[in-house]
Amino acid sequence: MALIPVALVVATVAFVLIHMAPGDPGSVIAGPDATPEDVQKLSQQLGLDRPLLVQLFGWYGRLLQGDLGRSIFLRKPVVEAILDRVEPTVLLTLSATFIAILIGVPSGVISARFHNSATDQAFMTLALLGISIPNFLLGLLFVLFFGVWLSWFPVAGYSPLEYGVAQTLRSLVLPSFALGLVQSALIARIARSSMLDVLREQFITTGRSKGLGERAVVYKHAFRNALVPTVTVIGISFAVLISGAVVVETVFNIPGLGRLIVSAVLRRDYPVIQGVVLCIAGVYMLVNLLVDLSYLAIDPRVRYQ
Amino acid sequence: MKLALALALTLLTVVGPSLAQDGPRTGGVFKAAMIGEPPSLDLHWTTAVITQQITWHVYESLFTYDKHYSPIPMLAESHAVADGGRRYTIKLRQGVKFHNGKEMTSADVVPSLKRWGKMATPGKAVFKAVEAVEAKGPYEVVIHLKEPSAALLDGLARPNNAAAIYPKEVIDAAGEQQVKEFIGTGPYRFVEHKPDRHIKLARFKDYVARQEAPDGFGGKRTAYLDEILFIPVPDVTVRLAGVETGEYHFAQQIKQDQYDRVKRMRDVEALVIKPSAWSTAVLNHKQGLMTDKRLRQAVQAALDMESIMAAGFGHKDFYRLDPGLMYPEQAQWHSKAAGELFNQKNKAKAQKLLKDAGYAGQPVRWITTKEYEWMYKNALVAKQQLEETGLKIDLQVVDWATLVQRRNKPELWDIFSTGFTFGPEPALITSVQCNWPGWWCHEEKERALEALAKETDPKKRRAHLERVQQHFYEDVGRIKFGDYFTLDVARKDVKNFPALPWTAFWNVWLGR
Repeated sequence: MALIPVALVVATVAFVLIHMAPGDPGSVIAGPDATPEDVQKLSQQLGLDRPLLVQLFGWYGRLLQGDLGRSIFLRKPVVEAILDRVEPTVLLTLSATFIAILIGVPSGVISARFHNSATDQAFMTLALLGISIPNFLLGLLFVLFFGVWLSWFPVAGYSPLEYGVAQTLRSLVLPSFALGLVQSALIARIARSSMLDVLREQFITTGRSKGLGERAVVYKHAFRNALVPTVTVIGISFAVLISGAVVVETVFNIPGLGRLIVSAVLRRDYPVIQGVVLCIAGVYMLVNLLVDLSYLAIDPRVRYQ
Repeated sequence: MKLALALALTLLTVVGPSLAQDGPRTGGVFKAAMIGEPPSLDLHWTTAVITQQITWHVYESLFTYDKHYSPIPMLAESHAVADGGRRYTIKLRQGVKFHNGKEMTSADVVPSLKRWGKMATPGKAVFKAVEAVEAKGPYEVVIHLKEPSAALLDGLARPNNAAAIYPKEVIDAAGEQQVKEFIGTGPYRFVEHKPDRHIKLARFKDYVARQEAPDGFGGKRTAYLDEILFIPVPDVTVRLAGVETGEYHFAQQIKQDQYDRVKRMRDVEALVIKPSAWSTAVLNHKQGLMTDKRLRQAVQAALDMESIMAAGFGHKDFYRLDPGLMYPEQAQWHSKAAGELFNQKNKAKAQKLLKDAGYAGQPVRWITTKEYEWMYKNALVAKQQLEETGLKIDLQVVDWATLVQRRNKPELWDIFSTGFTFGPEPALITSVQCNWPGWWCHEEKERALEALAKETDPKKRRAHLERVQQHFYEDVGRIKFGDYFTLDVARKDVKNFPALPWTAFWNVWLGR
């Protein structure tokens, strides 16, 4: 229930910000050689000359009925435009998260176990590097190495699931790594520091003193306790990845939600921008909820009333 | 990791398939990487070049251009002029089919022309002189003019925001809005538009081609390709990498500074598109500082076009300093009239003009955009040059959508950056129109332009155009920096692609 006011605030802020930005769809549609009169006429036809408040409440009204409006450029309902783009973005985000976890969690745990050793230093240097490289740069470097020079993967584009899973995965390898590596660095650092915290706890000392093997101490007792903060970060990073997809989808030319919102912003397709912002806000809220619920499974001490 | 990469690199084989030159070949899916998505697929609706580049494979007009950029019939069979140039009777070709199977007749042509005259920017300009358009039997259309017009056929032939012929029922269904179905008579038919994925066209098997040999954009058009995919690839690096690896057959608008690199690629051909456009700064004649002619002249006097163009286009092969309103490639029109006022590099003169105008350091608001990097770079260098003379430039960098909106509001700016793309008919070029942003309305120029539009004798027309150009420099209509050319790239197996200002893929085939 608490989600509804949050959604309403997001919706209003998105609407107001976009309409306050200069630029309008009329002049983009009419093209560079159009005269000001042509542009004005077009804006009237599109209903964009109405007062902002009228447009805002009209939008609220439709929103209540679950209608996000129609795209000005795509000439179809926004909901349909979003559904068309969900597949690549969800797959990209999932595979990037998968990569981030697969690399991030083990390297964090290993670093913590061999705290202050050469292994730890090496992992953490890599993690620092990973956090510092922007994902678009990493993406372009991947394109150059694995696309152009080695020809292992396509340089750009997306092959939808309907053309075969293998093709889809192949087209997602480079963008998923470009997106996931940065997050894996973040996860590794958090996993390491929460492991270190836990390893200093008294129950770990107790475990060791009663003769538990180092493996059991680290992987069974410490790891599970260190999971709560790590899962929180994974949840946040999943949400960050959805928005990070904006950049990576542009670099790799993937027709997902990120590309949708970038092109909508560039041509001021107001209903689409509002719809996608609302949709991403919804995903954030949902992921947060799921993270909260997952604490129940990880930590039996957590109880929700 | 590095070792593995280095190993893999050394193992790379560089032997490609041999490229034997052979005759036309039918078949294949052609992938063209475009700079973005068209704002509309209704050719009457927008002046956006990308809409033209994609849809003119689908739609055709009554006329088109030959290789000298003179109008020649396309869907028209022939035309006759009577009544002292006031009546044009256009005979239509018989048996031409729309993609929905229906034959094209005057019942489609008349509403198409009327809609174009009402909606399209060039249509409105041409229709100012049109009194009526009527059908005379199924294969004849008569256009009655209020006064003779030399620009009518050019208007009907121009591909941008073109007078495309749609089926009557498509026009009726659209009403005041954009057309919902994309049906024409062209060699390729529209199949689907998946936004940000592709626009797919396929060969129209019932296409009725003209019999004459191909000539410019006219004559026989053949659809050798099974399908054409126009793929929006906004990132320029990815467009080039895609052609390099064979992902795409063609990519438009590659950065000019990549030219030398492209020339070294084995399987890729660099295409210099010449002429393409001129880079310009548009001055505000309606409101603000630039309404003072002396200030405009000061700007014109101060600039050194060589360094401005070099900064914008990187490579010497991609720009040219030339004062002409029309391009040297258009021999019948190109002129150097008033050329001494172009590229003056005269700081002292500029300073004197500023002093005469009583300029007291008020900021000159110049809007530009990085979305077209050359616009920004041109403006940046010009700003520096102008500030050396004492002008104060407030350079406002915005995105393209903001620029095209703000330029319609005269109170917001003094100068804005843009480009004027190639146009064959001097009476219709945007660069000299009075109702376009900048509002360069100058009594004698308007008179010369009107005479240019009405006159039919080529010699006299040229004289009128030279007068327009004279005013352009003396009154400083706009600031022309120079001509620029764009760089397109294609795989070497793309055959018969002409590097002309308007991209067209009919008559193109894929060799192997």
